[in-house]
Amino acid sequence: MKKFINLIPAICLTAWLGCGGGGGDTKSKGVIAYSPLTLSNPFFKVIGDHIKAEAEKNGYTVRIVDPNMDVKKQSDQMDDFISSGVTAIILVPCDRLSVGPSVQAANKAGIPVFTVDAKCAAENAKIEGHVGTDNFQGGELAGKAMITALGDAGGKVLVLDFKKANSCVLRVAGFKKVIDAHNKTATGKIEIVSELDGNGDRTKGYQSTADALQAHEDLDAIFAINDPSALGAYTAVKEAKRDDKIKIIGFDGQLDGKQAIKDGKLYADPIQHPDKMGRQIVQLIMKYQAGEKFESETLIPATLYTKTEADQDPALK
Amino acid sequence: MKDLDYGKLLSDYGNVLVLLILCLFVSFVTLEEQSPRSEAAAERLAKQIASKNSPGANVAILVRSGEGAEKFSKTLETALADAGLTVTTNVVGNPAAARAALESQDAPLPAIAADEHMIVFCREQLSKLAGEFPQLAKTAAYQPIKHKWPNFLKRDNLLNVLKQISIVAIIAIGMTMVIITAGIDLSVGSLIAFSGVITALTIQQLGGGDPSLTQFLLGSAAGILACAAIGFGTGGLVTLFNIPAFIVTLGVMFIAKGLAFIFSESAPVPIEGSFAWLGRGADFFGLPNSVVLMLLLYAIAHVVMTHTSVGRYIYAVGGNPEAARLSGVPVKWVLVLVYTLCGLLAGLGGVMEASLHTTGDPKSGTLVELQVIAAVVVGGTSLAGGQGKIFGTLVGALIIGVIRNGMNLTGVESHMQNVVYGVVILIAVMVDQLKNRGLKTAG
Repeated sequence: MKKFINLIPAICLTAWLGCGGGGGDTKSKGVIAYSPLTLSNPFFKVIGDHIKAEAEKNGYTVRIVDPNMDVKKQSDQMDDFISSGVTAIILVPCDRLSVGPSVQAANKAGIPVFTVDAKCAAENAKIEGHVGTDNFQGGELAGKAMITALGDAGGKVLVLDFKKANSCVLRVAGFKKVIDAHNKTATGKIEIVSELDGNGDRTKGYQSTADALQAHEDLDAIFAINDPSALGAYTAVKEAKRDDKIKIIGFDGQLDGKQAIKDGKLYADPIQHPDKMGRQIVQLIMKYQAGEKFESETLIPATLYTKTEADQDPALK
Repeated sequence: MKDLDYGKLLSDYGNVLVLLILCLFVSFVTLEEQSPRSEAAAERLAKQIASKNSPGANVAILVRSGEGAEKFSKTLETALADAGLTVTTNVVGNPAAARAALESQDAPLPAIAADEHMIVFCREQLSKLAGEFPQLAKTAAYQPIKHKWPNFLKRDNLLNVLKQISIVAIIAIGMTMVIITAGIDLSVGSLIAFSGVITALTIQQLGGGDPSLTQFLLGSAAGILACAAIGFGTGGLVTLFNIPAFIVTLGVMFIAKGLAFIFSESAPVPIEGSFAWLGRGADFFGLPNSVVLMLLLYAIAHVVMTHTSVGRYIYAVGGNPEAARLSGVPVKWVLVLVYTLCGLLAGLGGVMEASLHTTGDPKSGTLVELQVIAAVVVGGTSLAGGQGKIFGTLVGALIIGVIRNGMNLTGVESHMQNVVYGVVILIAVMVDQLKNRGLKTAG
């Protein structure tokens, strides 16, 4: 028994060597490191997959870590990147201010830092380039979809927001701009009766919607700033047996969001393009590495995804 | 007799052995080619370039900016001049600067001395540039000869490991004392957030945009003392009402977290940049300040636990509270003291975390209580109370830190990392059980 227990660490370490280790590839031109917000959100995983594919095509090795939304973990990871002297760092900041000192440390070490999706807003932290979604334009698309969904009659709308993320604030701003413009001319007005925090996740999206359904008996539609909170909202609407009346618009275009559109659970999604984001951020790094000039910010437009697109999507069941 | 000594040695220092084996292993898996930046490397590179070029030939130096880059490029410049070559340009910067420097060369450039980053730029771009700039048509790029050395054993990386565990390790001092009394404190993670927010708000109130050192100290004191007060309250509830520590500290955990969000109005509170001294500075022989503080606190705690009556009381309360009470140990006060200390150290951890990010963030500290408890348990302190060693906890924190660092350096996927942590904790507890059984049969 004792012998066996002594063996356990050896087994674990061997497993480690097998699954991750092996050190660096000598032929590689360098390491591009990626620390997203969290890998449990498929959106960031897709970005990571495309960063990996594009970087490896260009002869670089990619190192992906997961700070799981914890800025302390993220800054520890940045320190590790810096001490091992990586070529470049791609970041989705876990907090747009607190990540500042880590970025400054990378700046000091001469390592270029790029952001994807969310920006870093800390002072004196130099970001070489950014690729993101045009969230304001995406919000406008959601607004237009909402006008189509409600038709001439108009109606009452709940917004599930996530004010901690600037990207989500922009989505709501774009949405409201279109709705306000619509209300100036249309007869059937669209009224935003409540704006609640959906925390960008299913649990909170469900809770907030359930509460709003109690408060507003005549709710017609919901705009949620991402797919997880939209799907949480759907659960609440379904539970209240009002899913035949209430239309839900999400955002992102994650696989389960798209599937929900095909199944008629969600009405539409302005979708982001994480694949393009991953590829373009690596292209920015290539340009930086070549010493060429490049646009420091690229915004990729969102596109609207409805049942029509979902029915033709080969990725869905 | 000899066997028993051996067993005792192993049980006292067993986890040190585990740590050493782990370090060896991580060194092995992070073995990688390194580009040296020493004086000797610069001279060797200069000689190599001189041997392949005619005397007086033009050379450009390209080095990526960063720690030690200036020094390396200067050394290289002297070495190249000594070897009889002409240095036309010496660039420490990014690829754009390197390109600009190459494009502005007006005489033929036979050689470039580059570091491991710029050599990639040279290989990629020289052939493209050659068409447009004839002076670069016959340019060859050279880099220092690489040698193999583990990424893990680089000085910067080892300091990183120490720096990264410092907050958890410091709080683990208090947690070790609490666990030795057979208690637990789940509130420390929330207290990190609470303390950080209080500190940041106090500094903001007192100093506005440009706070002085005194205001930094007052702010930190406010955060630390607020947490000590909460710890005192926790201890009071545990002793006066005899509520299990698990429940009391679970309640405090929610309260402190909630208050951190309320006081900060859910947004991180920024602190002026020079507050980063504690979390990011390195003023003692190049050791990070947080690491110096950690080592200092461990030394003090070790003395307290082994050489004072307070230390003996803490062990006595954990071993058998009834016996301790009968022999005159103020059991209740000892308990209140350990929870207060644990709160105080969590408050200090919060100040350090706030300093690290120059922000008082109500989101910080999430699940840190579990990391702290893990460090204590891996360090050999028994959850049943009565036994445990302060330095064991430091070793426990180091073991977890080294595993974490090693997995990040080799790019182990994060879900796998969680599995490994879990396995390490289970092994630690199993070893603890076997040790106890072994001692019993031996005795």
